[in-house]
Amino acid sequence: MATAREMTVGVGAGAEQLDTTEMVLNIGPQHPSTHGVLRLKLKLDGERVTACEPVVGYMHRGAEKLFEVRDYRQILMLANRHDWLSAFCSELGVALAVERLMGIEVPERATWLRTALAELNRVLNHLMFLGSYPLEIGAITPVFYAFRERETLQAVFEEVAGGRMHFMFNRIGGLKEEVPAGWTTRARQAIGEVRRRMPDLDNLIRRNEIFLARTRGVGVLSAEQAAAYGVSGPVARASGLDFDLRRDEPYLAYGELDVPIVTRTAGDCHARFECLLDQVYVSLDLAERCLSHVDTLTGPVNTRLPKVVKAPEGHTYAWTENPLGINGYYLVSRGEKTPWRLKLRTASYANVQALSTLLVGCLVPDLVAILGSMFFVVGDIDK
Amino acid sequence: MTTPEKNGFPGKGLIKGLGITLKTMVSRAGTQQYPDVEPELPARSRGVIGLMESNCTVCMLCARECPDWCIYIDSHKETVEVPGAARARQRNVLDRFDIDFSLCMYCGICIEVCPFDALFWAPDFAYAEGDIRNLLHDRGRLGEHMAGVPAPPPHDPNGEPSKEESTAAKKGGAR
Repeated sequence: MATAREMTVGVGAGAEQLDTTEMVLNIGPQHPSTHGVLRLKLKLDGERVTACEPVVGYMHRGAEKLFEVRDYRQILMLANRHDWLSAFCSELGVALAVERLMGIEVPERATWLRTALAELNRVLNHLMFLGSYPLEIGAITPVFYAFRERETLQAVFEEVAGGRMHFMFNRIGGLKEEVPAGWTTRARQAIGEVRRRMPDLDNLIRRNEIFLARTRGVGVLSAEQAAAYGVSGPVARASGLDFDLRRDEPYLAYGELDVPIVTRTAGDCHARFECLLDQVYVSLDLAERCLSHVDTLTGPVNTRLPKVVKAPEGHTYAWTENPLGINGYYLVSRGEKTPWRLKLRTASYANVQALSTLLVGCLVPDLVAILGSMFFVVGDIDK
Repeated sequence: MTTPEKNGFPGKGLIKGLGITLKTMVSRAGTQQYPDVEPELPARSRGVIGLMESNCTVCMLCARECPDWCIYIDSHKETVEVPGAARARQRNVLDRFDIDFSLCMYCGICIEVCPFDALFWAPDFAYAEGDIRNLLHDRGRLGEHMAGVPAPPPHDPNGEPSKEESTAAKKGGAR
């Protein structure tokens, strides 16, 4: 050829024959990296993602509609299931909303126990992602260490609530029953054990070169973007969005606790992972402090309820800092024993929306790293 | 995209990782030899629901309060002649008490609402079935589960004693 031909590989059109056609690629609904049935509709130009549309709803169970035909005790059972990794915190939110509407004052001992258990639940949730996220990008070992710690804490939960995932320990007005004798001591021992062994997990992965190479600078979410999409929790705090309801609008006993907020500014996958990892240490400390305070308190852990629990006519909005972000509960009651409407605002749903901008421009190999670092539970997205 | 660590040398992560693996290798394993050794489960563990038939008065509260209606109860009325009483009494007799564990959500509401303490949690969990229909446990099977029901753990002395303890104390005081 006499003349040199210029060709553009990538976005846009080159010569007619060299034009790379856009390909639509479906990730999911059944895909090992989506841990659940999240479907991503990607438009690819070669290896580069040009558009991403998260398609949600494959696991929709109509939780909000079910709430309308269940009484408040049964709602707790449903509420602890949409986000199966933070069951205690989810049932807590419903209980708080109903208690506020009914004007129930929760005994102090119950409040502090709830705070301790909520923080332990946060550790359980974070340990799950600390194990599964490295697994998704190829590091198989950390998950075993994460699950060893989870097992220790699950034993604590099982002793007190009888369940390992769906604790069903909250009730309207307090907790189901008093904790077994010596449980607070054993729980503190378990916390100490987890804290002692956390460096194993930490050393394995936090500064690992391969892990850094896969996550640092990948999938950067700016604070503005995070705020625009309503992203909350550790994902938002990794982008420098310093917002945590435990400090900014304290519920339970958080007002009396000094809650350190873990934030990062990088906003990349590694920052998100580090937020989770550091939050574990903070939550362990908080839980330990709560348990020590519980030992100084006496009295009941629940309140006497009428035979039929009816929230008076009205509406309220309770929000809590769940492990994955802000969960909101908008409760509208018409004075019946079931709510007229109970709207759920779940953290995962909002966090996943940011994927549509976050994934644009990234490469397919980075996709799994970004997807895993958004820390969502599909049940929590689809409700 | 890769930014090398400032204070690291190549392969540092690998050496660190191997160090932890070595540490774990020489420390005692926490393996539980499950099928050979039964796990020790806490008393509150929600494994299976046992039915104490003699306590059941067929009030149907459990079946009504169950969030997904997995309890099936049939009964009939019987007339009992009580010597000395003016009129014969009506008594509910249980014909069928089934719990469908394929539907059960293990929330424990039935046990909580039972006013006569006829239902109990037992920690037994090993009742998986090849056929889903076999997860419907009838009253005979539910009665067998009672053998595994442990004594409830004592409450924390800082908290309130359990309802059973306080009523027992009250009764003891009245006597």
